[in-house]
Amino acid sequence: MQRIVLERAGGTPVTKRAHLGAVASGNLEVLCEPPAGDGATIVVSTSVDGYEPVWRATLERFLEQHFIAAAIEINDFGATPAMVSLRLEQALELAR
Amino acid sequence: MTPATLRRSYVESTPRERIVALADPGTFREILDPFARCSSPYLAEQGVVAQRDDGVVIGRALLEGRDVGAIAVDGRFLGGSIGEIGGAKIARVLERARDGAFLLLDTGGIRLQEANLGLLAIAEICDAIVALRERAPVVAVIAGRVGCYGGMSIAAALCSQIVMSPVGRFGLNGPEVIEQEAGIEEFDARDRPATWRATGGLRRVAQGHADILVEDDLDDIARTLREAFRATRNRERLSLARLRDRFAESAPA
Amino acid sequence: MKGAIWAQALLENARAVPGFPPSVIVLDGTIAHLAYRAISILPNASARFPRARNGEFGLDEGLAVAEAVRGASGDSAILSIVDVPGQAFGRREEAAGLHLSLAVAVESYVEERRRGRPIFALIVGKAISGAFLAHGMQAGWIGALSDGDVEIHVMPAASVARVTRSTDDEVARIASVVPATARDVATFAAFGALDALFDVIDSRAPAPAEIEQVRAAIDQARREGLGTRAPADRLRRPPAAARRALALDVRRRIDEAW
Repeated sequence: MQRIVLERAGGTPVTKRAHLGAVASGNLEVLCEPPAGDGATIVVSTSVDGYEPVWRATLERFLEQHFIAAAIEINDFGATPAMVSLRLEQALELAR
Repeated sequence: MTPATLRRSYVESTPRERIVALADPGTFREILDPFARCSSPYLAEQGVVAQRDDGVVIGRALLEGRDVGAIAVDGRFLGGSIGEIGGAKIARVLERARDGAFLLLDTGGIRLQEANLGLLAIAEICDAIVALRERAPVVAVIAGRVGCYGGMSIAAALCSQIVMSPVGRFGLNGPEVIEQEAGIEEFDARDRPATWRATGGLRRVAQGHADILVEDDLDDIARTLREAFRATRNRERLSLARLRDRFAESAPA
Repeated sequence: MKGAIWAQALLENARAVPGFPPSVIVLDGTIAHLAYRAISILPNASARFPRARNGEFGLDEGLAVAEAVRGASGDSAILSIVDVPGQAFGRREEAAGLHLSLAVAVESYVEERRRGRPIFALIVGKAISGAFLAHGMQAGWIGALSDGDVEIHVMPAASVARVTRSTDDEVARIASVVPATARDVATFAAFGALDALFDVIDSRAPAPAEIEQVRAAIDQARREGLGTRAPADRLRRPPAAARRALALDVRRRIDEAW
């Protein structure tokens, strides 16, 4: 079990809540909603330890590509970085 | 029959998509959705990340205008297992529902990580099903990848009607559990066709253990669910005589 | 055989009701001049289903329990004596529909209780999994012996270790932080799930004073009308306020949103 938190200031707030995915092997659950303050916060809980650098790289790339303000929660069960990126894009699409 | 290319697969749908597709359009109102963040505090200690709806989707919906409770277990999360929160969600909806309820069951039964809290909840669920079916239909749908096992197979058997697809499996002990408890000579869990032959939807409907066979198709299941609600033939109690005959046929020579 | 020992010890004027398989003992008798039917599952080495020879809850046992519950006389309460190591694990059982056997027992208990027949259960040994759901858990009142042999869980202990691939130490550690996974009777009682605990010196040989104590508790519970309470009523017992706070919170929030 590992918890990873990433924060970044500024950005255009998302307007809606979006939820997708599941905490199932190779999959993840994403909750995306308008932030309480401003900026983007991503909180990851993962059952697989030792991949913090990979997580940070994946999440930072997502935040570089999208200048959004949002509160994002990820509950992960060993999803690949590609799956993580896909789910984040899907969530953002629904939440904008 | 819907052509295969136009089918919307139940198996490939999420629990929320299933409820939305089966209820009257636009009528499903979810209660304690994932943003309510009502999830199990017992899992982190056991190395498991919690899912925010605890793997159970509940709410209120209309079915041909009937005000029904809607319940779907998410088989993707911990095998659709029932813990304290998911169990309480199911039990309370059954206690509150006015004109009946439908349960989309994709569950291995009690969640081992919350053992006795799941056990207590399933006793409440069984009681609530019997109470509700005295005045309104309670329909179980078993058409997902996990099937319906363990304590929840008892709950399903108490429902007024049971709808199954060929994909669904319905029994008390899953193949892995039997192999583990009784040995591979009793049951080889890798022999998957044998499991479906013994406990799959085709077999269970043929045996009369389930009432209606459907395809893996949301539209077909939506139609069938309405038929099941309209049917006056509500199973009031399980027939001892019928079960006695059936079990006698199964006894070793 | 503890089920039979306690059934025979507790009932006065007991007589065996014929017509049940050897694995299910059914006794009619009285406690404090009120009628009771005691039911318990016993090992039967010659049971026709080989996976149900050690006291497991199998196909025949569910039918017999259901028949015993449905067939009790109008003024009789039910007293389920619980010592069940689990359900029968077998290919034949699954094909025939073992879940229906358990369901028919559950259904009988629920329907009789809802019609007003008091249902009491006394756990004297193992109360495991589906077998306990089918025989004991639908009672309005559940008592248990406060005894090291009493075990309440959803899976036999050895299976838990196998399934979770954990050592016994790890299983014990988890039980200490997640009480719901513990097996002992005191922890189960702490959820508000049990109405009485009885100290006994030897659960295989109940002493007259011990029997008298259990009888008195059941008699009082019956006179107070506690035998017809639904399982959800356990959430109203004082210990549940703290130990099942999550379930209570979920129920309250559903009511608010309904």
